[in-house]
Amino acid sequence: MNTTNLLVFDGLLLFSIVGLAWASLATTDERRSVILFMAFGLVLAVAWGRLLAPDVALAEAAIGAGLSGALLLAAVRKQSPGSSHTHANPDRNYSESGAKVVLQWLVTLLCAALAGTLAWALLHALSSAPHDTLPRAISDNLVASGVSNPVTAVLLNFRAYDTLLELAVLLTAVLGIFSLGQTTPGYQPAGPVFDGLVRWLVPVLILTAGYLLWVGAHAPGGAFQAGATLAAAGVVLRLTGRSRIGLPDGFVLRIIMAAGVGVFLLVGLTLLLLGRPFLGYPPAWAGALILLIETAAMLSIAATLLLAFVGGQPQSTAVNAAANRQREENSRC
Amino acid sequence: MTELLLLSATGLMLSLFLGLLRVLLGPSAGDRMLATQLIGTVGVGMLLVLSVLLDEPALIDVALLLALLAAVAAAAFTGQQEARHD
Repeated sequence: MNTTNLLVFDGLLLFSIVGLAWASLATTDERRSVILFMAFGLVLAVAWGRLLAPDVALAEAAIGAGLSGALLLAAVRKQSPGSSHTHANPDRNYSESGAKVVLQWLVTLLCAALAGTLAWALLHALSSAPHDTLPRAISDNLVASGVSNPVTAVLLNFRAYDTLLELAVLLTAVLGIFSLGQTTPGYQPAGPVFDGLVRWLVPVLILTAGYLLWVGAHAPGGAFQAGATLAAAGVVLRLTGRSRIGLPDGFVLRIIMAAGVGVFLLVGLTLLLLGRPFLGYPPAWAGALILLIETAAMLSIAATLLLAFVGGQPQSTAVNAAANRQREENSRC
Repeated sequence: MTELLLLSATGLMLSLFLGLLRVLLGPSAGDRMLATQLIGTVGVGMLLVLSVLLDEPALIDVALLLALLAAVAAAAFTGQQEARHD
């Protein structure tokens, strides 16, 4: 398939990405900015697909277009309770002290300098060395990795250290969220239409998460995309005002939060004891070990993202149930 | 067949572009969100066409995920008011 025929398509795609990014940053209304950002994520997912990078496209579709949009909308709503429109006065924003203008220009210049450096580095890398040595090294060793998807092979085997540390970063983040204290009880109970939608949506999201986890071994997918999809199921459950959103209580929740890093370390240390390098899987076991680690990582990632949406330590279900009963009684009166 | 797919990809792109105008023009937040949902649907179609055109079956999975998460985003937008502390 010659790609020159898609020139018009590519041009319009590029134009809409840049236009949406600019519009999202330029608007002073936070809610509008969030909606523009969600549209930006959607178009970006299509662009990654067009660039034949379905792994990144999956992550962008799940996190960029879906979850972060929901998270930001909830944050905007929390910031301005009662009023749906928060029109910041543009005059006020622009007439503020000169320091702000200087800061804006400084940030612009720094961004431009960064973009210039990156462009130079890219051009340099493209012109100096043959740039297909890394893909070749991966495809040469793919058989020993235990999976046939090169992205999963890199993330969970060849550079497993990287992924372990990423999961540690997520664990640190969720500990920060936990330190924010108890959350609000949640949302009001949903109407019948929304409730009906959620009854269909949640099982399909859970099924899709399982599919993405499984398919990651031989096609685009994996723990991060699966975890984000699983978290989305919890997000819609919370939006309908249910007390149970799939997060377990107390101790089990803590185990799940730490499961990604824990299982990863456990596998690595067990291999050390057996006389192999840290995270150097024996080829015969690699596929099974990767699936084990990815399953634990998916649960941790889903719990982390869902706790980020909840915005703190979830109340125990007993307290929630009591609050719900109270609310029902109130509405009956 | 390829010409037909190319034509539909470009046609979908044009429709996405028109949807973008509505996202930018608004005027209400609801209008923008509906237009964003339209863009999501167009994006799903686009990914399906591209998966055949570029011979990349994994893009069908991306389309599936985009369709599911667009529903989540819409739910978050229309969402309920948070329950108050009493």
